Amino acid sequence: MATPASITIEDVESTTPGMVVKLAKFTGQLDESNVDEKAQQIYQLIEQNPANLNLIFDFEDLEYMNSKSIGYLTDWYGKVYENGGKIVIAKTRPNILDILQVVGLTQLIKTFSTIDEAKFAITH
Amino acid sequence: MNDIATTLKENTHKPVKITITLPTHAYFMSGIRDFTISLIKNTTEFSEQWAYRFQSVVDELCNNAIEHGSKPGEDIKITFIYNPDESIEIDVEDSGTGMNPKKAADIKLLVDQFVQQNIPMANIRGRGLAKIVHEWTDELEFIDKPEGGLKVRVVKYLTHIETEVLKKGFAYSEDKTHILI
Repeated sequence: MATPASITIEDVESTTPGMVVKLAKFTGQLDESNVDEKAQQIYQLIEQNPANLNLIFDFEDLEYMNSKSIGYLTDWYGKVYENGGKIVIAKTRPNILDILQVVGLTQLIKTFSTIDEAKFAITH
Repeated sequence: MNDIATTLKENTHKPVKITITLPTHAYFMSGIRDFTISLIKNTTEFSEQWAYRFQSVVDELCNNAIEHGSKPGEDIKITFIYNPDESIEIDVEDSGTGMNPKKAADIKLLVDQFVQQNIPMANIRGRGLAKIVHEWTDELEFIDKPEGGLKVRVVKYLTHIETEVLKKGFAYSEDKTHILI
């Protein structure tokens, strides 16, 4: 039994040769009951795209994230960044942004109000 | 919950104490998080922002108790003590029968180390107690229970929040994606 949560991933068109851009939409609550399983989707994505992977995380429907899910976020960022890519976050709810700020993650990963702003930041 | 909240609010100056006992399974935590938000929003003077913060504090303390303190099939105990116009105390207790039980002194040392230094980016763990719980409470105490197990006690004072708001001007903005600092 696990708390409901999902991550759906779609391609984002990029005009830059060699640049891979994906939009990952998070929904529900990431907690101790589901985060280890859900995190594997992003690890698989990173493995499948070993270079120049750029990820936009859409947090509009993400209701909760615990400290372990923040730990995974920092680990994904490290793996993507060392291979020439970026991660940005868009449409974060106030309580999620509050958590990201208290752990210092907003100093590392940029957050944007809209998907369009996030796409622009990642492709320019 | 609303009926309970009304009853509790009528006893405005009496401390409110609620204790919940839970089986050691992470599945039950979403219910406890919902309960925490409702309790804080409906029966205390803490703001909605703090209701969400206490949700995280309770979740992190319980996850720690489930992971380290109580073996499967046993329980953890959560106690909320609200002193009107003053503070909220949250205690989380385990039975000390888990796979990796820790003494109060050991866990305090570990948390102090994480508080004083930056947690390496590749570390999946360590942010719960050292960042979320430590930053969002005024008192954080680890107590070895005489009968075995660990009790973690946190307190947040309303007056400290008022001082923090005055100092930092910290509040949610109208734009739900941003916090004004």
